[in-house]
Amino acid sequence: MTGSAMVFYAAAVLTVVFAAVMVVHRNPVKSTLALVVSFFGLAICYVLLSAPLIAVLQVIVYAGAILVLFLFVLMLLNLREEPAPPGSSRPIQTVLSGVAIVSFAGLMLGLIRASGDPAAGADPQPLTDIARVSRLLFSDYLLPFEAVSVLLLAALVGAFVLVYSEKRA
Amino acid sequence: MSGPVPLLHVLILSVALFAIGLTGALLRRNAIHIFLSIELMMNAANLALIGYALSWGTPEGQIVVFFVIAIAAAEASVGLAIFVALFRHTKTIDVNQVNLLKW
Repeated sequence: MTGSAMVFYAAAVLTVVFAAVMVVHRNPVKSTLALVVSFFGLAICYVLLSAPLIAVLQVIVYAGAILVLFLFVLMLLNLREEPAPPGSSRPIQTVLSGVAIVSFAGLMLGLIRASGDPAAGADPQPLTDIARVSRLLFSDYLLPFEAVSVLLLAALVGAFVLVYSEKRA
Repeated sequence: MSGPVPLLHVLILSVALFAIGLTGALLRRNAIHIFLSIELMMNAANLALIGYALSWGTPEGQIVVFFVIAIAAAEASVGLAIFVALFRHTKTIDVNQVNLLKW
């Protein structure tokens, strides 16, 4: 096993463990911080899978911007760790959703196994070449790129309209 | 071009993360937790896309991931704005206690 493979498996374990911590923790702030660690582990995986641009975006945009936005909203709403209200445990639903999730994962793994490993295409240029990815983004994918900018503007206006209250004026 | 690990292992990691995210989205009742789980599921899909991009030697997968990240940013801003507006009305973001749209 090469060194980079070992780093990949270590990052994979880190990612899965902190994702599980995110799901089971009751405190939303600690949950969000666990997801930040999990996304850092994913960024390490992206670097090893020769996608350095996506790894940088993962750290800056996901861990740095989106999850910090979550933290801001959590602090704004002042949400505390809330104990489970009495009579809220629903064992039947829990067991059923567990069965559904396990069967989903088994189905996906079966499909992946059945599809087999695709033949690796001969590639003269490595994918780590950011200039190549960027050139493709600004030539063939220019229209989706501009559409995303319109989407972000619409999200900005929509978020403002949703939280704007006229009473404050 | 092949990576440091087989594609199968990357896809197993992706399925594991997606299953964890699905668990959170189905079982948690705090809206913030559900939202974080959805973000985790998006990242699992991104990981599969990057694994296939490396395995096939084409950069298109990375470009799709780029768009997914941008759309996730838009989704997060609107979703959190909905939570803030919801919290103003109901003083809770427990999805079981929010039934305004239930008949």
